[in-house]
Amino acid sequence: MLILGIETATDQVGCAIGGHEGVLASFHAARGRRHAEILTPSIEFTCRQARVDLREVGVIAVDLGPGLFTGLRVGVATAKAMAQALRVPVIGVSSLDLLAFAVRYTNRLVVAVIDARRGELFYAFYRQVPGGVQRLSEYQLGAPSDVASELLARGEECLVVGDGALRYRSVFEDVARTEFGTVGNAHPSAAALVELAHPRALREEFVQPWEVAPLYLRRADAEVNWELRPLRQGAGLRQRRTA
Amino acid sequence: MSDDSGLSCILGIETSCDETAAAVVANGAAVLSSVVSSQVDLHARFGGVVPEIASRAHVELLTPVVAEALVEAGLDGAGIDAVAATVGPGLVGALLVGVSAAKAFALVWDVPFVGVNHLEAHLYAAFLEEPSLAPPLIVLLVSGGHTLLVAMEDHGRYRVLGSTVDDAAGEAFDKVARFLGLGYPGGPAIDRVALEGDPRAIAFPRAMLDQGHDFSFSGLKTAVINHVRANPDVRVEDVAASFQEAVVDVLVTKARRAAAEADVKAVCLAGGVAANSVLRERFLDACMEDGRQGFVPSRSMCTDNAAMVAAAAWHRLRLDGPTPLDAGAYPNLGLPFS
Ligand SMILES: [Zn+2]
Repeated sequence: MLILGIETATDQVGCAIGGHEGVLASFHAARGRRHAEILTPSIEFTCRQARVDLREVGVIAVDLGPGLFTGLRVGVATAKAMAQALRVPVIGVSSLDLLAFAVRYTNRLVVAVIDARRGELFYAFYRQVPGGVQRLSEYQLGAPSDVASELLARGEECLVVGDGALRYRSVFEDVARTEFGTVGNAHPSAAALVELAHPRALREEFVQPWEVAPLYLRRADAEVNWELRPLRQGAGLRQRRTA
Repeated sequence: MSDDSGLSCILGIETSCDETAAAVVANGAAVLSSVVSSQVDLHARFGGVVPEIASRAHVELLTPVVAEALVEAGLDGAGIDAVAATVGPGLVGALLVGVSAAKAFALVWDVPFVGVNHLEAHLYAAFLEEPSLAPPLIVLLVSGGHTLLVAMEDHGRYRVLGSTVDDAAGEAFDKVARFLGLGYPGGPAIDRVALEGDPRAIAFPRAMLDQGHDFSFSGLKTAVINHVRANPDVRVEDVAASFQEAVVDVLVTKARRAAAEADVKAVCLAGGVAANSVLRERFLDACMEDGRQGFVPSRSMCTDNAAMVAAAAWHRLRLDGPTPLDAGAYPNLGLPFS
């Protein structure tokens, strides 16, 4: 069964195609935040280089986030439409799971951290298990200093991986026995996505295209402000365009 | 696809603001299906469209909306000859959802993708309902985001004669409705309340009435606020009716003058504000009086929909061919000139 993986949760855009033979071809571009412009042409290119007709694809795997909303939606909207057009199911995987899976050979505690902007991180904790990693926590949103405090409290050797590790390196450097992921594994990989989705595809752990939704972890500002009204009424609004 | 033989069906997708829409149109003329899922209830409590909430809703709604449009048209992917989506103007995050999905459908079905200008799509709404319309004509495009007086010289060839220097007409309706406590969206609310009011009760200003083809509505909004503050006992119905009268007066006068100057046979209304009942009536009366063919699309064709996107795409495909798959979204796109 061929799997097409689509990954747009961070600054990077990626796609990969593979199956029981492993990953046949993959493409990643991390520059410019042009997700919508790059994604479909890169899928076309990747399929051609893998000598796969897009219509042979049997499952769409997609990174559901958490991540940067606009980019994430480009990937999820593309994945849903492709699955709908191909009449195939979808496997959704979290961006944080992908980051941890890529460093599954360490026996340190793995902390996957994605830059959530506004001085916050999306993060989760993982531990190596045979064949992969096991998530030890919920997907969370918090300040880098909160994540660092939690690591201090745990007091064990850890590996911090993801673009949040690069951006907030100075915060985590204060925590003893911390190692850092590299630039090379700072973004979730579409190839890892295909690899991780493969056993799930064999177990038929699918969802249908209309059931797929991004993992936002952060509510829209307007909803938060609405609950804080009248303290901050109307913030974040744009006047309605009637049509 | 590029010749006149055979039926060519275009799937259109529209996600530029707060309507998630999909439609199938044959030969740029026959609407096989048109599905619109309005998010108005999601945004109502905020008194305006919240871009992030709109974008999230588009992701959720687009799959079922497209499925319904295909089923209603009696087609599956195999019957679609091109996929079109609005690429701008609009909310960037919202646009990207439709653009991404449309490109994905086009790639899987191996058919052309067509990026459509939302403004051009509004201009084509009238053509879907009145096959006898032909350029050259004058179109008054009035919505929450735009107030444009356009000379459509030929398919794909436009001259913008005038536009608003401040608020769009629909924006003025929303702001005044909000001030009067009539709720959201403002257009239908004012239309309804004005039925019980006297349009001549208050002489609100008609800004720039005799100056060129441009519009200005922010002074009118201020005049309404000042009048109500100075006359707290004034009837809301009279304020709404008089305000609406002033807007309609300016819109109709300017469209009429543009039509006379361009000496065209036909004049059209387009955009969400064209759903206003007084504007529709007065516009058609004026056209009749001037001996021109006046056309006002049905209300559902005036507000955002995807049938107009598919119709515009059919003409664009003939003029320019397919849009490359590396197209993005263009939130500030203007009307194409050529
Ligand atoms: Zn519109």
